Amino acid sequence: MTIKSWLKPVVSGVAISAISMASLAAEPIKVGFIGSMSSDSGLSGLRAAEIAIDEINNTGGVNGQQVELVTADTREDPTEGIKAYEFLAESAEVDFIVSSSIDDVSLAWMPRFLEYQIPTLDTWASYVGIIDMVKDDPEGMKNYFMNVASDEALATLYINFGADVLKAKMGFESVVILAEDTAFGEAITGLVTEALAPVAGIEVKEVIKYDITTNDFAPLFSKAEQSGADFIYQISTVNAAGLSAQYVKLQVPLAMTGVNVAALGHEYWTDTGGAGAGISTLSPIPAVGLDLDPVSAEFVATYQSRYTSRPVMPHFNGFNVYHGLKQALAAAGEVGGFGDGWSAAMEKQDLKLMKDGELWLRYGWWQHDEIEPVTGRTYPHNIRFDLSEPFDDGAPSMVVVQWHEDGKPYVVYPEKYANGEFVLPSWVPAK
Amino acid sequence: MTQIIIQGMLLSGLYALIAIGFTLIFSVGRVLNLAYGAYLMIGGYVYFYISQQLGLPKGIGLILAAAVGCLAGLLKYRFIAKPLKGNHVAIEIATLILAIVIQSAIILVFGESTKILHSLVPGIVRLEGVTAPWSNILATGLSWVLIIAVFIFVRQSHTGRAMLAVSQDPKGAAICGINGEWINMVTWGISGLLGGVAGVFFASYTQLSPFMWVGPLIVTVAIVIVGGIGSIIGTLIVAHIIGFLEVIVVSYIAPELRGIFTMLLIILFLIFRPRGLFGREELA
Repeated sequence: MTIKSWLKPVVSGVAISAISMASLAAEPIKVGFIGSMSSDSGLSGLRAAEIAIDEINNTGGVNGQQVELVTADTREDPTEGIKAYEFLAESAEVDFIVSSSIDDVSLAWMPRFLEYQIPTLDTWASYVGIIDMVKDDPEGMKNYFMNVASDEALATLYINFGADVLKAKMGFESVVILAEDTAFGEAITGLVTEALAPVAGIEVKEVIKYDITTNDFAPLFSKAEQSGADFIYQISTVNAAGLSAQYVKLQVPLAMTGVNVAALGHEYWTDTGGAGAGISTLSPIPAVGLDLDPVSAEFVATYQSRYTSRPVMPHFNGFNVYHGLKQALAAAGEVGGFGDGWSAAMEKQDLKLMKDGELWLRYGWWQHDEIEPVTGRTYPHNIRFDLSEPFDDGAPSMVVVQWHEDGKPYVVYPEKYANGEFVLPSWVPAK
Repeated sequence: MTQIIIQGMLLSGLYALIAIGFTLIFSVGRVLNLAYGAYLMIGGYVYFYISQQLGLPKGIGLILAAAVGCLAGLLKYRFIAKPLKGNHVAIEIATLILAIVIQSAIILVFGESTKILHSLVPGIVRLEGVTAPWSNILATGLSWVLIIAVFIFVRQSHTGRAMLAVSQDPKGAAICGINGEWINMVTWGISGLLGGVAGVFFASYTQLSPFMWVGPLIVTVAIVIVGGIGSIIGTLIVAHIIGFLEVIVVSYIAPELRGIFTMLLIILFLIFRPRGLFGREELA
């Protein structure tokens, strides 16, 4: 064998490898973002994805591969959501999907996820039924993750707020539930109705369901008053600003708390024309009004220097997209892509964000066999939340935020995260 | 009972104002202006922009809302109704599409989120345990002033009587020297004006949203069908029937069924009494 004949295959092999490497380096990782492009929460997620991807690309990408973002608009409509997911899977052929879809939309595209098996991260939808699907079908759902606490966990901690603040501090004995007629409204109504009385000792006097097209809430508030309850528990994701503004304009003489999606954003005060005082809502974290850890604060600073239109602050799902997308790409970097090993690598991702020496936020996961001690059940692939003080294993599943009459939001529960007091609006008599 | 009366009266007054503009156009032009709900949206957003974003006095916001509503009506007549004259289906489709275009434009400029208008006047009044904001009472009162003004205008003024004549017999009116096109244009302008003002009142009562045109349009169609197309008195009476019906359904039956009874009413009347309670097609 001459040197020439020996060198020939080596040179050819190196050349082929070089070409393969070059083509691999040229092939970007495609990340699909699915959400409503005209809603504040959708925009929060989209912008967070843009920031996270730019930061990763600026530091060399994932194993030398650049990351490219493809978007698909759901318009907060389940049918559009299915089309959007199909577009990302079939036309754009993305490697990974990050979603800021609302519950109904995520449920709509879920069969497509099961079909295509594209690794997907939900950052807004919190329906515990999806986590139950992971529990029941770990293989089929292995590529699905949800980094917002499931609604059951949200409701569980809210019940503690009911016991600690509404009952013990405010002296409320009974509640009337004012819930929109949606799947989310139904689910939260069920959880609250079942747990408030036995756990917090608060009697549910009446459940008033209303159509989401309702725009005149005066008769509903009259009905709530007539129920004789001490406070109103609202569940409102659609038209929530209208509901709270009419509560203020009519000066309904009952306290109102619960879930009000409009109050989750910084624009709430201007959207309600200042008629938003006294409204409190449970919020996944990081919530509006919450003090931030340095890492999340830096993300907000980048966000605000880059985007000047609304939403001026990312909603909670924006933080979830930012941290979650980086985790997903880090896991892909560890195992060489979004193939078979990605799910196991994603399960090991664990980001602990500290503030003043304490655990403040945590982006980790409940594992398949781990039992959450308060609820006594498992939450595989759900963000690792904590349901009891001192919240040293994870962040609480939710905080309660209240908008005060000075036009600012304050976290009023739990105590570790609180920066304000739960107060009654000035027109509501103390019990 | 006091609650039903107060809330029913407040809501019905607004419904009546909203429906009057719609019935005017149908009676004179014989077309269903399905973009009518968009007048409300335009009026509401103009008022919001002027009085809340620019911070100008509310009175100026209200006047400009009326003016822009009127202009929208005139433009719609000039560029849609007039070129498509005689083709009612085409006008209805075109006006419906226009409403959707206006909705998209509003989303582009103001975003999708709901906005709340400041109260027209501050404060509330409590009567036997029922709360009513002065703002809503003022809106309903002004609605009645406008309704009465329209009624007097139609019955007493030269132009109003010409509108009556065109609505009763367009050809006969033309023979008598009435300019039908001019009358139609005036009617579309008045309808737009009423819609713009109604939009401010309705948005002040409820909220402002790019989708706010749909609900009032359905209610308006119901009022006009049940009342009898073309009947101002019928419109007023049925606006109150539907307003009170909604409040009673919410208070005593099931709030989630609020709009269902209105829909059922439309179907029942279309089947059993298509002319409506006070049915006639000309203005009366």
